[in-house]
Amino acid sequence: MRVLAVSNSGKYYGDLEGFISRLGNVEEAILVTSDSPGGNFSKVYRVGDIYGDLLARIVGQVGEPDLVVGIHTRKVLEAVSYLAGSRDLPIVTEVTGLEDMTVTRNILSGRGTAKYSLSPPAVLTIAPGKFSGQLSLGPPEVVELGEKPSTEVVSRSEKSRTGVDIESAEIVVGVGRGFKEKDDLKLAFELAEALGGEVGCSRPIAADYKWLDEDRWIGISGKKLRGKLYIAVGISGAPQHIMAANDVKVIVAINKDKNAPIFEYTDYGIVGDLYQILPILTRKVRELRGV
Amino acid sequence: MDVGVAVKAALDLNVLRSNPDGSVAVENIPLVISEYDRNAVYEARRIADSTRGRVIIYSFLTWWPADRKEKDFENVIREALALGGDEAYVVVDPTVSGSEPRFTAKVLASLIRKYGSPSLVITGEASTDMTSSSIAPYLAATLGYSVVTFARSLKVSDGGIVVERDVEDYIETVRASLPAVVSVTGEINSPRLPTLLQIRKAFRKPLVKTTLSELGLSPMLPKYSDYRLVTVKRKRVILEDGSPEELVDKLVSYLVEEGVLKR
Ligand SMILES: Cc1cc2nc3c(=O)[nH]c(=O)nc-3n(C[C@H](O)[C@H](O)[C@H](O)COP(=O)(O)OP(=O)(O)OC[C@H]3O[C@@H](n4cnc5c(N)ncnc54)[C@H](O)[C@@H]3O)c2cc1C
Repeated sequence: MRVLAVSNSGKYYGDLEGFISRLGNVEEAILVTSDSPGGNFSKVYRVGDIYGDLLARIVGQVGEPDLVVGIHTRKVLEAVSYLAGSRDLPIVTEVTGLEDMTVTRNILSGRGTAKYSLSPPAVLTIAPGKFSGQLSLGPPEVVELGEKPSTEVVSRSEKSRTGVDIESAEIVVGVGRGFKEKDDLKLAFELAEALGGEVGCSRPIAADYKWLDEDRWIGISGKKLRGKLYIAVGISGAPQHIMAANDVKVIVAINKDKNAPIFEYTDYGIVGDLYQILPILTRKVRELRGV
Repeated sequence: MDVGVAVKAALDLNVLRSNPDGSVAVENIPLVISEYDRNAVYEARRIADSTRGRVIIYSFLTWWPADRKEKDFENVIREALALGGDEAYVVVDPTVSGSEPRFTAKVLASLIRKYGSPSLVITGEASTDMTSSSIAPYLAATLGYSVVTFARSLKVSDGGIVVERDVEDYIETVRASLPAVVSVTGEINSPRLPTLLQIRKAFRKPLVKTTLSELGLSPMLPKYSDYRLVTVKRKRVILEDGSPEELVDKLVSYLVEEGVLKR
């Protein structure tokens, strides 16, 4: 089988190699990347940026591979979907599992899964963090491509970051639209501090209101949690948010609406006003932990 | 300038149902407008208004069985019309039992070519049920349009578009030529609920239904299988009776018992 791997960052080469090595009988695996070359691929095409029309041109040169496997980032997702469309190929995105030639992915915003049986040629993106391994096809020959995509990048600004890593935090306090103003978030920061945890948030808090940086955004389009305790405060419990906490050992919710969906997803829930509950909880945690 | 919007009638995540064997009971789950498609319609309206164009809604009923889903589907299209659409062209076909991006994009491209060929087509960043995020680029390639995904802002200028694109670590400002397909994030605007008047008017707007064969397309057997619900196993202990002090005391003792809160 011939495979074309696509990444916009070196940190995903292991994911791609892991997935490809599980396919078996791979004779050639070419990597297209906009980052520094690496990995044990047969060949590396280095491009300035990852865009669909560039990929289509590369495929035009090297011939259509049996599988195109991209990492599931927004850049690569757009590019490989465009490539699939330009060659009328099936595409399956954000694959989390592979067995024989059947892939699994999440559907229903995390509430469900579905299978898809591949019959090459086909295009995939794989979810980061689900596959790891190494190929033994290298060391690769590196080819630099100077071609430009038709989309012109006018400017690029880096998003503001706090630098916290909520994905590896054991305890996270999540804040949602139940907080009336930005200042009130200190109630959550005080609780997180007393617990020795971090503060995370729902999508609107980061993306709409910009009260917190996006590295605190929890959900299917943000960060996944896997620690021992998640306390969701003033969060309604949309699956796009709460399913990203499905691997957490204990989930707690504080919400004033008894019928909020979040209570379906929690081990312990308090029906109450966060403005009353949080200060008491913080005080009791401090007493208990002597902090 | 006319602006097209691809709208999806998605499975309602608030009323998911499964069969005794754990498979998703698609037949019994109602359809609602996919959340970010409201943003797409709203954005299309804004652009059409400033360029004196129409907003054309396109949709394909992918969930089955078509006869049981048609009512919900029509409500979704009426909602899109109430939110800002002027007319709608949709495929409802009894031979359809599921789809995948390749086929959905093909159907939408046929609708777009046949009805209006707007030079700008907008979609939501992802549908709430299948979340593939690949329709916009796939559609663009099929139509021979340029593509920009995950737009946080969108401007038409000098025969092209200027888009602020959200690409995880960066916001990238890009310029692309028209015709184009653009997918928008939920943050691009804040759609208002349609007023009663808008809803009433929506029922008088043209809604044209067609089938695959009328578009010259043959049905496709979906390669997706085994739709299942993830079981959420939680204790669901709800504390609601008592003073705030008492509720918190109970919570704290549970957390200590669970071993997640240590002295
Ligand atoms: C494709 C797609 C991807 C998405 N990705 C994500 C994602 O990654 N992450 C994410 O979070 N969302 C995501 N969303 C959005 C998601 O659907 C919800 O809209 C969002 O999570 C809601 O945020 P929230 O719970 O903070 O706000 P709301 O839904 O408005 O909930 C606020 C809650 O606060 C409660 N409340 C109000 N006042 C108080 C008070 N005084 N005390 C206690 N409780 C109070 C209310 O009862 C309510 O339940 C996505 C949506 C789509 C369509």
